[in-house]
This record gives sequence, structure tokens and C-alpha cells, in this order.
Amino acid sequence: MRAAQLSDLLQKGDRVAVSNITGRESGKVSIISQRYCGNIVGGWALGKGGQTIEFEPGKSIPVFATFGDLLKQLPKKHHPNKVIVYSPPDAVYGEIKEVISFGKKRIETIFIITEHVSIEVTAKIANLAREAGIDIIGGNTLGMINTYDGVRVGAVGGDTPGESFRKGSAAVISNSGNMVTTMATYLLSAGIGTTFGISTGKDVLILTPMKDFLALAEKDKRTKVIVLYIEPGGGYEKEAVEMMRREKFSKPVVVYVAGKILESQNVSLGHAGAVVEGLVASASAKMKLLDDYFGADCFDPQRRYEMTTKLRDSLRRGIRIQTLHHLPQAVSFVFRAHDWERDFSPTGTLTLNPWFVNLGELGKKLPVPLILNPGTIIEPYAAQFAQLAESKLGKLVTQRNMRNASYASGNDGQATTLYGYSVAELMKRSTFAEALILQWLGELPSYPFEARLVEMCLLASLSNGPGTISAQGAKLSASAGNQPHTGMIAALACVGQVHGGNGKEAIEYLLKVFGQTGLEDPYDPKTPGVDLDTLVSQEASAFKNQKAVAQESGTSYAKIPCLGHPVFKDKDVNYDPREEALYGYLQEQSLFNVFLEFYRRLAVTLKRIGATSKVLAVNVDAAIACVWLGICWKFLKEKRITLQRATDLPLVAFALGRAAGAAGEFLDHEDHGTDMDMRVPTSECEILTKPRDLPA
Amino acid sequence: MQEIAELTFLEQLAKRSKLPVPEHAVIPLDRKTLKSLLDSWGKAVIKPDILAGKRGKAGLVKVVENPVRAQQEINRLLNTEIGGKMPRTVYLTRFIPAELEIYTAITYNSSFLGLSLTISLKGGMAIEAVEEKDKRTIPVDVYQGLDAYQASQVLSDLQCPKKLISPFSRCLVDFWDFFITSGMRMCEINPWRVTPAGDIFACDFKATLDDSNFKARNLAVTFPEYPENITPFEEEMKELAASSYQGQLHVSDLGGEWVLPILFGGGASTIIIETLVNSGGSPIFLSDFGGNPTYDRLRQAAAVCFKHYLKKAALLLILGGKANNTLIDVTFQAIGDALVQEAAESGPLCLPVVIGRGGPRLAKGMTMIKETLETLHLPYVIFGYDTPVTLVAEYAARLAKALAHLRKP
Repeated sequence: MRAAQLSDLLQKGDRVAVSNITGRESGKVSIISQRYCGNIVGGWALGKGGQTIEFEPGKSIPVFATFGDLLKQLPKKHHPNKVIVYSPPDAVYGEIKEVISFGKKRIETIFIITEHVSIEVTAKIANLAREAGIDIIGGNTLGMINTYDGVRVGAVGGDTPGESFRKGSAAVISNSGNMVTTMATYLLSAGIGTTFGISTGKDVLILTPMKDFLALAEKDKRTKVIVLYIEPGGGYEKEAVEMMRREKFSKPVVVYVAGKILESQNVSLGHAGAVVEGLVASASAKMKLLDDYFGADCFDPQRRYEMTTKLRDSLRRGIRIQTLHHLPQAVSFVFRAHDWERDFSPTGTLTLNPWFVNLGELGKKLPVPLILNPGTIIEPYAAQFAQLAESKLGKLVTQRNMRNASYASGNDGQATTLYGYSVAELMKRSTFAEALILQWLGELPSYPFEARLVEMCLLASLSNGPGTISAQGAKLSASAGNQPHTGMIAALACVGQVHGGNGKEAIEYLLKVFGQTGLEDPYDPKTPGVDLDTLVSQEASAFKNQKAVAQESGTSYAKIPCLGHPVFKDKDVNYDPREEALYGYLQEQSLFNVFLEFYRRLAVTLKRIGATSKVLAVNVDAAIACVWLGICWKFLKEKRITLQRATDLPLVAFALGRAAGAAGEFLDHEDHGTDMDMRVPTSECEILTKPRDLPA
Repeated sequence: MQEIAELTFLEQLAKRSKLPVPEHAVIPLDRKTLKSLLDSWGKAVIKPDILAGKRGKAGLVKVVENPVRAQQEINRLLNTEIGGKMPRTVYLTRFIPAELEIYTAITYNSSFLGLSLTISLKGGMAIEAVEEKDKRTIPVDVYQGLDAYQASQVLSDLQCPKKLISPFSRCLVDFWDFFITSGMRMCEINPWRVTPAGDIFACDFKATLDDSNFKARNLAVTFPEYPENITPFEEEMKELAASSYQGQLHVSDLGGEWVLPILFGGGASTIIIETLVNSGGSPIFLSDFGGNPTYDRLRQAAAVCFKHYLKKAALLLILGGKANNTLIDVTFQAIGDALVQEAAESGPLCLPVVIGRGGPRLAKGMTMIKETLETLHLPYVIFGYDTPVTLVAEYAARLAKALAHLRKP
């Protein structure tokens, strides 16, 4: 091996390059690694040269087309000495040949993360690397972490490496990547930290075999004990034990061998494979081999051990554990035999510590020892759960690849569906507004008036005259000679946060106000669960105070979204006529919308307590937001839609109405306007910059 | 891993390989044909076509001289199971009288981190049973391959009769060429039989292809379908697993009855199953759904597991260590959605769910699955990664046993 000690494989100051860095897994892991230790100098991916991967605002990892390009374009001091290979299996051989060809004498270690690399290619890589004097970790490794230097390659430690890997004296070496982190976490409970966490890889050929890792760990000054997780397959442990016997290995090894129970089940596991290795490759054979080396049976936590000279001598070589959760006790036992101090205070004992328990009726039938009470949730998760629990509304979802998948629509070649309902049937039996609620929320309206309100919102959004920014967009487009749909797009391009988009802020505001209340039914005028008058006065007072403080200090303050209108503003009591129409309809029909009611009362209260000089108009954006939040409330309470969807709907609803209105504006301008009539004459344009001559 | 048995080799690969093989015939063979074959060959060896080793040891390789006996053996072998497997068919090869039997295997070897050739002049028996002094394993350079000189040296070292060294070395080079051009992971010819006249025949063959090797994928061999004793569940999961490489979807039926385990991570799932078995939890199957599978893949896999076993199971166990890479919210939503789907299709569910997990986006994932279980009115106990998976598995086993006891009439 090129490395003389474990830190030669990975240490602070190493510069890491990542192959196929734009891949799904490599990109994600690289971002976390870069935030953790910042050791990635760049990556490469065919056809992706010139891209970057942002890992923090304003900070990114450069992506090159090839490894050769990476070396050409990066300054010499940033040239990598470590490479992580994430390329697809069939590309790995080519990538490594390129790395070896361009990186000879620069690259010290290559970590092959890729799974399913052919064994022939792995054998060829072993040859090439041996000749080039490069160490290969893997294939199919998860990477490694150097705890003292706070650096890692690959995904060891997951998204919070510091949580499992604290500075200490155990080197964890495992055939399974997952077990590296898991065992490091278990050791914390015994007050034992780690020096390194290493995933050896679990292909048939493990290119840095166990004996080499052990030899390197022996030379690491901080490593006192080596913790191994071993799976069936290969003669690696036989060689390792031969080496330890031959070299009189000086450090204790605590080992777990997996897979014995499955030997009789005809189930293949781990890196089992080669026919001539059958006798030494099984889990049973490895257990016996190691027990013979240790000179002791496996660790029994129930047994009262007397620390005899013989036992102490045996523990100087190490011990095997039968169950993984015996690891902390076994390592502590080895520490005791050596009279070593723990690395830090134990973080607790490994016991059943349920975070959530709800056995319901079943709990009454079970024997008492099986009925667990909720334990303590460790941080930072307790805080995260508390935060998630605070949000009583909205569904938690996770993203997936939706390229060819949709909940919203379907077409099986026979019929088009919207959330499972046939469009043809909807055409016969539903209105457009009803179908719109279905398409946007996944269910037909719960009450007939909801569709009527949606229709009124669409109508209200159609137009507010030719001077609105969106109407101007449509007119400009017509004046330029565009097609009608381009005019609609132009109008939509002119809808933004302050024109049409204010409804989104209204929803966010209403969710803040009503989110923590027990509001069940927004259409119930008795408002059970909500003291509406108190809510209104609290919000009005808070606003008044905030405004006063801001005015005194000369700073700006957050306005209540959707209160006030640029046109409907001059009277003592102002109304947006479109909102008035909606509110009037509700009253006519003896209907109630708690959100709109809140807005109206808030506008009046603000004037009454002197926070505003007039009763501001509740504008149409607020009205649309209140209508849609009313419809969404049940879905949010039942966690059937996300908060994001509820927040987006008012803008979407406004945009839909306004796009239709813009079409009307476009057609009108197309018929009656002249080409270029929207152009502003030069005489009316003000020049704010003095003319300048170009430098010679 | 695609395995190749001798008959497939004889029918489709032997001609390409230049390896000398005896003539062969496959049933059905009428009496007249059988008689004429035996008249021509003198003796025939009757073997079952089966993907299982140690046929000879099991008494399933028979030498016959007359058609009546041959027919009897054919009928017997067709209906004889070995290692839980039934033969696909039965075939005959010409009997090769031998003065010497030789064992050879080419395989990837962890000691050399490369290829090796193993030879023994004690052919016809399992290589593990051959004493060390009677066998040799040498490394073979993956780029340079095996040359006749290297082969002859090993044969000399084993005291191979001198007249055989040269012709058999050529056979070994052909064997190597065949191995490396086919994208194999392992290939064994045991035995080669050498006639008194010095003719050499490869008289049994088994190989495993490396599915990840493009040469194996492009081998243009029609692999026969063997009667497999895998369950419909395993069959369905196998198809699903083969559809993509993204994330593991590995299951093996264990014949248990109580715990339905959805497990994550090769290492973790092994030790969880070991703990369940040792604690009497009777796991229904072994599973490994780690490696960050996509939502779709895991939802489909969980749906298959639930469709086959959720009604039967006493307890659903969703368990893995602290994931490095697998997104917990994605996997838990996939499993939760599959549970909802199963409840919609098969009616209300009534079994407790024990969960243990750590990893990226844990809080979100756990909150999501907790909400799903509450919606489905399923009792649950959820552990974080601070409780070892083995302790959770022990608890699940005890709980499953108690529930199975409660279920008894």
C-alpha cells in the first residue's frame, strides 16, 4: 500500500475530486460533505462542464467535463490528491484509467463508491492502481471519515457526521457502510469516540483488504481499539488473522460477524462468491477463526468475568460480540482490561427508548413488560418534532420523480381523468368552477356555494381597467404584432408580487393568525374555536404598536397584506367593489367566511384605534385569498394538501382570471389599435445619463 | 447471478469454446434412438439438468449400458429432487473411460485481488475435500491471461503425467479464453477425463456469469428456465428488483409467520433477521431495501410485500440503522402510501407497527409515517437510532410472539 497509516488515506488538507458529481446521490452527498469539511476542489461529469453545484449561498463546487479538464483549469495548488468515483458501473473503468493516466504521482487514493462494477473491471483496476502506486478503497464503499481532522469522503455519517463521530480512540472498520455510522453511534453510549470510520466496500473483491486496514490502524497513534463489522465471503479475515499472529498485533479488536443464522437458509449475503474460498469464507468459519485468535469465547454481558491474567491477555487481542448492542459493553470491557480511561462521559446506556408509542386498545391486552412508555427524544430531533407538531395544518410530503406521473390528471388512451374523474362525465354534470376545485385540490367542492364563489373570483380577476400593469402587458404585445396567446403570456409576465400576487401574502398572514387557533369550520358564523373579536383587536394593536415604533425610529414596517387599494382609497370608509360584491353575495345567501369577516373587522378596528386614518379597502386579492382559504381549510386540517398549495392558490386563481381578461384586452387592441402605438415617443423619454465618449 | 449448467454449456457454448466435450443427447428419446446411442457409445452417463451441485454425491449421475436400465434411470432422475430443486430435464453423455480425472476452476480470488486458477489431479470430487498438497491455486494476470507455460508449470508441479502436460495445457488456455471472453465470475470443470489413448474431455461444467459484465450480458445464450422453488412473492420482487439498479430490493422467503420485516441496509438487515430468528420472532422473509431507493420503487416493493403477507403477519417491522444516504421521509412516505393502498384494497388493517430508524430527514419521515398510522388506526411503537436495531428487533420478536399467542383460539 502507498499509505503508511490511516491518516494517509484521508486527512485535513486533502483535496478531493468527485466523478459524476452531478448525479443524484453524488451531488447530494458532495453538498453535505462540502458543508461539513470543504475538502472538495471540484468534480467532473461528461457534458456538464461549466456547471456549478451550490452548497451554500454564493459558494459552489465547479464542475468540469472531464478529469483532464479539471486538472487543466484548476490552479495547481487546488489539484486533487483524492478521488471519489460515483460514475455508473460501465463507466468506472474508463474514469479510473483517466484518473490514473492524468493523475499519476498526484492522486494517492481513489474511493470507488459505485455498486455493480464488474469483477473483471475491479481486478483490472487493482492491477492498474498497484502499478501506479495508488490506493483503492472499495469497490462499493461508502467512504471514510477522519474524526480528529473533521474530514470525510463519501456519505459516512450521513447528513450530520458530527453527530455520530466524536473524537476518541476506536477505529471503526466495516464491510457494511451503514454499520460504520451505527457502530460509531453505539460507542458514544460507552463514552468512546472514534479516530476513523471506514467502509471497506462489499464487492467480491475488496481492493484494500482487512489486513491492510488493520496494519494501518496499528500505526495510528490515537487508535487504541479497532471495531470490526464482518460479513461472509472472501478470505480477508483469514489473511488478517494470519498477519496479526505473525506480526504479534498490538491492538485489541472487537468484532461482530454477521450472517451465521442464514447459512442454512440458502441466502447469499455480503461478498460471498469465490468457490475456492468456501472453507474460510462462511460466517461460522470467520467466527471460529477470530475466537481462536482471541483465545476466548464471544463476549457475554450476563457473565461475571474475573479479570485474570489469562483473560487480560486474551482481551489484549480482543473479543467477538454475538449481538451488536453488546458493542459498547465489550469495548468498555477491553478498556478495563487495559486500564484505559474512557474518551468522554458516556452518553447513556443502550436501552429501549421509544420516541413515540400509541398501542391503543392493544395495549390493554399485552403483558406489562411489552407496554412501553414514550422515552426521551434526543436532540436535535426533539426540537424538530416540536416544530413539526406546531404546524397543525397541511400535509407533509416528500418529493419524487414526477416526469411521467401525475395525481392531477390521467389518460390511459381511452379517457382523460382529473383526479380519477372522467373529464367527459364532468363535462356533462359539472361547471367549470367545480372542475377547477377538483383539479386544484383533488376533490369536488364540499358545498355548491364554493363553486359560485370561485366563479366570482375569476370574474373579479378578469380586469381592473386598461391601466393595470397586466392589461398593459397584453396591449404592448398586441402593439408589437404578437399572437393572442403571446398577449396572454405577456399579461401573466406582468403579474407579480405587488400586482396580483398579494393574495399569497394574505394567505400566509391568515395562516399565521388562524393557524394556532382551534378553528374547525370557517363557514360557521359562531366561529367555534375562535374568538374573532379578540383576534381582530390583538392583530390591530400589534400593527399599531409596530407602526408607531417604526415611525419613531424612521424604519419601515410590515404592512397588513391586501388592506388598501391604489384606486379605492379616498373615502373615509373604502371598499374594493369586487370584494363588496363577494361579501354581498355571502350576506344575501346567509353565508359566512371567517377570514373575510376578520379582514373587514380588522380594517374598521385599525381606523377605530387610530392605526389608520381611514377604513382601508379590503382589496380583491384578500377576497380571493379568503375564498380559497375557506375552501382549503378542511383539506389543511385533514392534512390532505400542503400549506404550499394553499398559499399558491390565490395567485393561481387571479392569474387564471387575468389571463382570460388579458385576451380580451389583446383582441380589443388588435382590432382597434395601430402597430407600435404603445411606443413612448422619444420626446417623452427623460435621459438621466450624460453622453460619454468611449475610451480610445 | 446467472448460473450455467452443463447441458446449456454442451448445447450452446461448447462449440464456441474449443473445449473438447463428449457427445450428448437430451430426452425425450425413443427406445430405438436410445438403443442406437448406447450401441454407438458403449456406455452412457445419465444426468439431470439442474442448477445444483454435488449431483454425483447425491447418486444422480448414473452410468448405464442398456436401454432398459437407461430408461429406468431417466424416469427416476426426472422425479428426484436435489437441494430442494427439481431437474429441468435429463440428458445423456457418452461415457468417457478415464485413466485420470482432473479438477480445474477459474475464479476471482480475494487473496490475489484478481483471478486464480485451481488445479487438482484428484478430479471428480469436491475441491474442499482435496488435501492441500494435491491442489494448486495460482494467480492469473487479468490483462495477460493464462499462458501454456504457466499452465504446464502447475501441471508439472502436481506430477501430471508428462505426455499430458502439453495437450492439457492447451486445454487450460482454451478454458481461460472461454472464461474471460464470456464475462464469467466463476467457472469449474470437474472432472476433465483423460482416456487411456490420451484424449481429454470436459465431462462436467458449471459457471456463474457476472451480470455486471457487458460480455456476460451480450453472450447471446438462451438460458433455460429451471423449475424454481421460489415463491410467487419472491418471483414478483425479483422482477421488480431487476427493473432498475437504483437501491436494493432484495428479499428471500424464510418461511416464518409472524414478523413482516421491511428492512434497510445490507448489514443491518442481516443482523436484524439474525436477532429476530434467535429471539423467536419468526420473520416471514429477509429483506434489504437500502441504498436510497426511489419513492416509486420502494412503494411498489412495499405494496408487493403487503399484498402477499400483511394479512398473515402478526406485526409489521420497519427497521434500519442510521442511514447515511437513504432519505427517511421518502422511504417512509413510500411505505405509508403502500399501507394506505393495501388498506383501500384489502380492507382495514389490524396489526401493530414497530419502527426504528435514523438518517437524513428523520423527523419529517417519522412524523409522516406516524400520521399515516394514526389515520389507519394502527398501533405503533417508534424508536430513534439511539435504540440499537438489535434491541428493537428483540422487542418486535417478543411483541409478535405475544400477539401470536393472543390470536390463538
